[in-house]
Amino acid sequence: MNRRRFKDLIVQRIMFILCCFVISILFFIVMGLFYKASPILAIHSLRDLLFSSTWHPSKGNFGLGLFIVSTLWVTAIAIVIAIPLSLLTAIYLTEYAPKRMREVLKPLIDLLAGISPVIYGVWGIIAIVPLISDYVMPFFSERLTFFPFLSDNYTGYSALAGGIVLSVMVFPIIISVIHEVLETVPFEIREASLALGATKWETTRRVVLKKARPGIVAAFILGLTRAFGETMAVLMVAGCSLHGFPKSVFDTAYPLPALIANTYGEMMSIPLYDSAVLLAAFILLLMTTLFNMVAWGILLHIERKER
Amino acid sequence: MKQLIARLFGTVLIIALFGVHYLLAGSEEMKGTITLSGAWAIYPTAVAWGEGFQKKYPDVKVDISAGGAGKGAADAIAGLVDIGMVSREPDPAEINKGIVPIYILHDAVFPIINAKNPARVELLRKGLKKEAFTGLYITGNYSSWDQIAGGAKKKSVHVYTRSDSCGASAAWAKYVDNKKQEDLKGVGVYGDPGLIAAVKRDPLGIGYTNFSYIFTREGTVLEGLIIVPIDVNENNIADANEVNDNREKAINAINKGTYPATRKNYFFVKGKPSQLVKLFIEYAFSEEGTRIVEEVGTSLPLTKPEREKMLQSLR
Repeated sequence: MNRRRFKDLIVQRIMFILCCFVISILFFIVMGLFYKASPILAIHSLRDLLFSSTWHPSKGNFGLGLFIVSTLWVTAIAIVIAIPLSLLTAIYLTEYAPKRMREVLKPLIDLLAGISPVIYGVWGIIAIVPLISDYVMPFFSERLTFFPFLSDNYTGYSALAGGIVLSVMVFPIIISVIHEVLETVPFEIREASLALGATKWETTRRVVLKKARPGIVAAFILGLTRAFGETMAVLMVAGCSLHGFPKSVFDTAYPLPALIANTYGEMMSIPLYDSAVLLAAFILLLMTTLFNMVAWGILLHIERKER
Repeated sequence: MKQLIARLFGTVLIIALFGVHYLLAGSEEMKGTITLSGAWAIYPTAVAWGEGFQKKYPDVKVDISAGGAGKGAADAIAGLVDIGMVSREPDPAEINKGIVPIYILHDAVFPIINAKNPARVELLRKGLKKEAFTGLYITGNYSSWDQIAGGAKKKSVHVYTRSDSCGASAAWAKYVDNKKQEDLKGVGVYGDPGLIAAVKRDPLGIGYTNFSYIFTREGTVLEGLIIVPIDVNENNIADANEVNDNREKAINAINKGTYPATRKNYFFVKGKPSQLVKLFIEYAFSEEGTRIVEEVGTSLPLTKPEREKMLQSLR
């Protein structure tokens, strides 16, 4: 074997080992979390842990129900706000904006994605929370006294505040992905539609979006998974209260990541506490992985269809 | 010859000086590192102690990191640090794991309201009884200001609490109804500054905060906030010794033991402390250590008899 071949082989092997190492980290995290969470699974049934909302570690109650429901609430609110905002922004950027403007706007939006979560949290406290307690909540509490707006929490620290902050955090990612997806739609299709006399909006709505739909769905799921795991910003504005499920967008919410961040310090003293918190981490990891896989599945499917 | 004698004398002098220096500095024991981690409430004082200690023993390094009472306890149990700083009562489970808590400092938790609170006049005149706090924070029996303060202000009470597990919440829950942090009702806000900001913004809010956060450098209560007097003797009047509207008065009330919502701060040491750690703790209890506590001003030193008792038990 000559030296060049040998070098090639060595490099290949090293890269393979490094690649395995990176992937095995995920595997080890999953195994480690499961191993550490197993003591509590041996004592309480999974059903109790997932559906009970009583969290009282010193009495041995470790219900994660409240946290799981809160996570879903906050994420749902974030996605509902982010969908129209990011979809329309992406359409404007791809279909309507002049080239010069796109070149300026795109980096600005990408910049938003790089801001530290704590900054979003502080912004939430000084801007969003007062906005909700002073204007939004008084407006809704008088006029719309039904689900999901009925609430007696007038403080502004709420699932809605968490959702708004989260939506701002996820939309740069969603816009970026949708923008990429829309750009993969062949230009000839647009030309054909325009040639038939359709306006630009009709072309976008009936041709481009139709073609790009699976990719757009995947973009939202990717945004969703980021929203699931976001901790600091939500923790600062969601008004983490341990009492009662959130029944309204104005109620307080206590998502899983916030639970982990708030209580990890106390894990050592009370028996099973560490198990419960790590089970929460395990569930969070599972939810995120599941959604991620769905999103990648859809994106892969599109890529294959294009070839 | 003369020169030789002078040289010999000089050498002996130098050796003697080194010897004296060596004796003064103590034995080999005074070298090494002391590590501390834990409660934010103790951190500023511990840093100042560390600086003073290092000045006294230049070969010793004192490493201090903050991260909350829980982290202090966890690190001490795991043996990651020599001393865990914990701003709440030790849990029986922690004692079982070999922790020896050493009562090192103390401070207090104060209930606060917004300076624009509609019931502030009544509250300042009458104060609030423990039962009112229980009704707000534990049972949820009270929900409007007129129920606890009288008057005709039928406005709802916005109860705030801490979301992160912390010494202040533990002390407050213990005072209010001998409960734990997870029993406290209310909207959870992250950190002392977060809670202060929330109450500062909300005229109908009530919260609680640490001694070290509520007073300004000049010793007055932070602008926009009022400390609610706790009606300890339950005579429906906020007596002069129950009103803690400046730092001086608060320190007096805490030291005299008339203020009820106090908390003790501990150094958690696992098993028997090493010679060096012992020396550091003795330094913290010394006159110089006490002066440092007062200079920093975020916590209060133990009284002299208390300190002597702690030193006795340390030996």
